[in-house]
Amino acid sequence: MIHFDNVTKVYANQNRPALDHVSVDVDKGEFVFLVGPSGSGKSTFLRLVLKEERPNSGAIHVAGKDLGRLSNFKVPHLRRRIGCVFQDFRLLPNKNVYENVAFALEVIGKPRRFIRKVVPEVIELVGLEGKAHRMPDELSGGEQQRVAMARAFVNRPMILLADEPTGNIDPATSIGIMKVLDRINRTGTTVVMATHDAAIVDSMRKRVVELEDGKIVRDQSRGVYGQAY
Amino acid sequence: MRANFIFSEVWIGLRRNLTMTIAVVITVAVGMGMLGIGLMINTQVGMMKDFWYDKVELSVFLCGKNTTMPSCKGKSITTPQTNALEAEIKGMPGVQQVLYEDQAQAYKNFQQSYQANKALVEATRVEDMPTSFRVKLTDPNNYQPTVQALQGKPGVAQVTNQKDLVNNLFGLLDQLRYGAVGLAVVLVLAAALLIGNTVRLSAFNRRRETGIMRLVGASNLYIQLPFVMEGVISGLIGGVFAAIVLIVAKVFLFEEISRYFAFGSQLAWNDVAWVITLTMVIGVVICVLASFVTLRRYLRV
Repeated sequence: MIHFDNVTKVYANQNRPALDHVSVDVDKGEFVFLVGPSGSGKSTFLRLVLKEERPNSGAIHVAGKDLGRLSNFKVPHLRRRIGCVFQDFRLLPNKNVYENVAFALEVIGKPRRFIRKVVPEVIELVGLEGKAHRMPDELSGGEQQRVAMARAFVNRPMILLADEPTGNIDPATSIGIMKVLDRINRTGTTVVMATHDAAIVDSMRKRVVELEDGKIVRDQSRGVYGQAY
Repeated sequence: MRANFIFSEVWIGLRRNLTMTIAVVITVAVGMGMLGIGLMINTQVGMMKDFWYDKVELSVFLCGKNTTMPSCKGKSITTPQTNALEAEIKGMPGVQQVLYEDQAQAYKNFQQSYQANKALVEATRVEDMPTSFRVKLTDPNNYQPTVQALQGKPGVAQVTNQKDLVNNLFGLLDQLRYGAVGLAVVLVLAAALLIGNTVRLSAFNRRRETGIMRLVGASNLYIQLPFVMEGVISGLIGGVFAAIVLIVAKVFLFEEISRYFAFGSQLAWNDVAWVITLTMVIGVVICVLASFVTLRRYLRV
């Protein structure tokens, strides 16, 4: 599903590469934790998958497409197959829960009837039934992140990328968020989650890829956050 | 659905930057109005040239009793002299037709031209009018040799070429046209910069929405269209105001000009319609281009 082959990324005006000869394979339906300290290249990895950045060398395949050969014109279609969740939720403050989720479908031109049918289903999937007409500022951080996950998942993407989704949320609420991610993963969606949260990684017992200074230092199936723990 | 979404976005964008939108509308309106007036002057001058160059002739004024021109030496022209002169002019190469205008005829024309000025007409008597030959040339542009040959002949007071008079008028109109077009160019530039600024503000105001749109895979066109439409709509509104300016100019400026100088060759309404269409298209195209160029810089897709 995601295939990195000897990928190196150096940002302009920087000597040290953000990713240094990284090769990794993520299969369809896998759940992968991307761990490592700040600046180790986790976010760069996710941005490369979205083709927000181009690698300096190496090849990236996502959902069967060679990103190096994908024209800019087709990048939006790639992104429709990838859902994204962030630490800061990125909801539209002037739209309610339903409208925030529906927005993702409206802007890719889905018909209204389809939106009316699909959005309530996804809102229920993330556990926000009955809150469809709340505004984002009336919701807790955990609930806002659930809205963001609903928006990321509403178009049934093949891949869900989560960049520290529990970074702004207390540990108790984080468990709920992880349950939703697990539920999404069980529908067959590949999930890649970058995180600092050792407790979550340890409790999930999923594959762990650890980055340090842009290099993969560990790739374990059913791993934990750090060997020291 | 799509159209609905885009128009609500456009409306929000225009309202948020109302002052900038007004500035764009005014600049486009004045700029396109000036361009249109330039084009209309162009058409009008073309029509007047066709009309006048057909009619221009040399006027050979003859010495009369009261002529003060030094070439007459105070003497009036005699009848044999007049006949000889007429025969001589008729024999010149390039002369198509020669007409003698006596005092009565000249007085009649004078009365007609100065109808409005009663005092002047009343103060002038038939005897004050000069007699003249009206010489029509086969090629009105090649008048120099004929004028030179006639100047200084006994009994000839003065030779005037009507084309010189008409050309003065055309020169004035040409300058007006250059002024209008020059102003239009400057204003179009200003409009383009203003639109660029407005789009930049809009893009900044809506960076959250566009960021999410990008993320969920909205196509570039879908993301950019609301911004470009903002430019198009301001351009169109500006164009409508420019059209009003042009219609007013047609009624109060061009119809006045043609009443005095170009009898029968009025700028027609379909010329005005053509100019309005052209300026509107130019205005909208400039707005779209300015929007696109700015978007490429400030809205990463």
